[in-house]
Amino acid sequence: MTSAEHSFTGRGNFTEGFGLTTEPMPLEPYRSRDFFELEQKMIFRRAWLYVCRAEELPEPSNFVVKTIHGTGVSALITRTSGGRVQAFYNSCAHRGSIVVKEESGKAAKFACPYHRWTYSNEGDLVGVPDEENFFPSLDKSKCGLKKIATSEWEGWVFINLAPEPEVTLDEYLGPAKEFLSGIRYRGADNPVVFTAVLNSNWKVASDAFVESYHIPHIHKDTIGTTFASRANPFARLIGAYPLGTHRTVSMYGNPEYTIDPKNRVEALGSMGKDDKSVIAADVSEETLEFLSHPAINPEGADHWSMDIHQIFPHLHIDTGPGGFWTHQFWPVDEKTCFYEVRFYMMEAQTIQERFLQELYIGRVGEVVLEDLANLKFTQDGIDTGGQDTMQLQDSEVAIRHALAQIIKWTQAQTVKEALA
Amino acid sequence: MTATAEMARQLPEGFEELEPFVAYWAGESTADRMAARCEADMDDIQAFYDAMIARGEDAMRLIGEHPLHDLPADVATLTRLLLALAQASIAVELHGQPRAPDVPYPNSMRMVRSTAPFG
Repeated sequence: MTSAEHSFTGRGNFTEGFGLTTEPMPLEPYRSRDFFELEQKMIFRRAWLYVCRAEELPEPSNFVVKTIHGTGVSALITRTSGGRVQAFYNSCAHRGSIVVKEESGKAAKFACPYHRWTYSNEGDLVGVPDEENFFPSLDKSKCGLKKIATSEWEGWVFINLAPEPEVTLDEYLGPAKEFLSGIRYRGADNPVVFTAVLNSNWKVASDAFVESYHIPHIHKDTIGTTFASRANPFARLIGAYPLGTHRTVSMYGNPEYTIDPKNRVEALGSMGKDDKSVIAADVSEETLEFLSHPAINPEGADHWSMDIHQIFPHLHIDTGPGGFWTHQFWPVDEKTCFYEVRFYMMEAQTIQERFLQELYIGRVGEVVLEDLANLKFTQDGIDTGGQDTMQLQDSEVAIRHALAQIIKWTQAQTVKEALA
Repeated sequence: MTATAEMARQLPEGFEELEPFVAYWAGESTADRMAARCEADMDDIQAFYDAMIARGEDAMRLIGEHPLHDLPADVATLTRLLLALAQASIAVELHGQPRAPDVPYPNSMRMVRSTAPFG
């Protein structure tokens, strides 16, 4: 579809297409302590939660430790000697201490730094110093690291903090699994990672990354001219698809975008090429295969910039001409979240590629900082209590759908009911 | 050139005028170079930007003659200096000041990992 064939006037019909109400939506879930606690219990302790890519654990004995913010859980995620990915509570069976303090590494065994109780990377207790001074009640076979339910889908590793997950990861992903099936994620072993503690509810932050309505204004100097144009001055969405409890939206890209003459450094990075994009989209076979996937630019639009595949509750998998990147928004309390963004890129082979990457990384950092400032203003405003509802337009359909799903999960007695 | 000056040379021959910028700008990692930009005065950023962009194409060409992941020491230093230009451009071309307006500094943003080389 070309830009001329796509109308950006009148009112769109994404919201009705999702089967959602068009009424204002409540703001209380964005500021209420009670609602935060309800989310923790009904969502973060029941849903499958994305924690890392399998590439972070390339070989048996690799491990990573992830903080599951808000829940108090430190998760030790291992590639076992048998090659399986398995998560454990990072807590010693002796007196509960944290066992692994490193953020990542390679180890066949883990020794608790407190009294050297030692575990295999399958979680079995294999060593107890001065064992003979313990009592017959010590049953080593029952003193392994406590397992966290773990499941993997196309390199995405999920955990579930329920003692017995009510549904499998496949059932949980539902239509999103089929929609995204078979994407060849490029550069998945080479992420550029930023983290930040944001002074906003996790939904305020997540919402800011699924609507482009704010981009022409808030990010006018960094990415404004990429996402809007004279034909689509308010950066309206070009596509939106409900996927059960998950969803995808596609954003407009200005097909006329060229390097602003004042951006001399970007022009320098493009020296000797007619490449227009900072993301340095290449035309290798792998890139073409990636871009030909039906979930990537599902509209087949020439005025496309990126897709946001929102996996409930807190993961965005974004796909664009140059590859993919992810956002995670972990609730810390009702007005704080821990944010992590990972831009996956192929390792540069030429100085031009590396230079454009550095420019891109620098700009991304600025976008994160702009959001860091702006999201606090949003939260502070919500916290005044002056407004009880928010007015959402059609291009903000993902915000409406996400909140509707979150409310549904907090009310559903079972996960099956939440997913129905 | 005297022997002493030769020993102190950090950049490939022909880039002598950039030597004064090496100590501050040629940080080892993206995070180092970002901090350098955030903590510099605008005049210093502008001076580095002007000097580096004037030699940008020459630097790019020279670096391109070597394998990117196995650079001789002086070319590696020039590469780190060139990469710092990406940060300087954020101040000069985007903000017109060292850091984004309205954003507190220091702040909670942390660059955990960048990309090789010199990430």
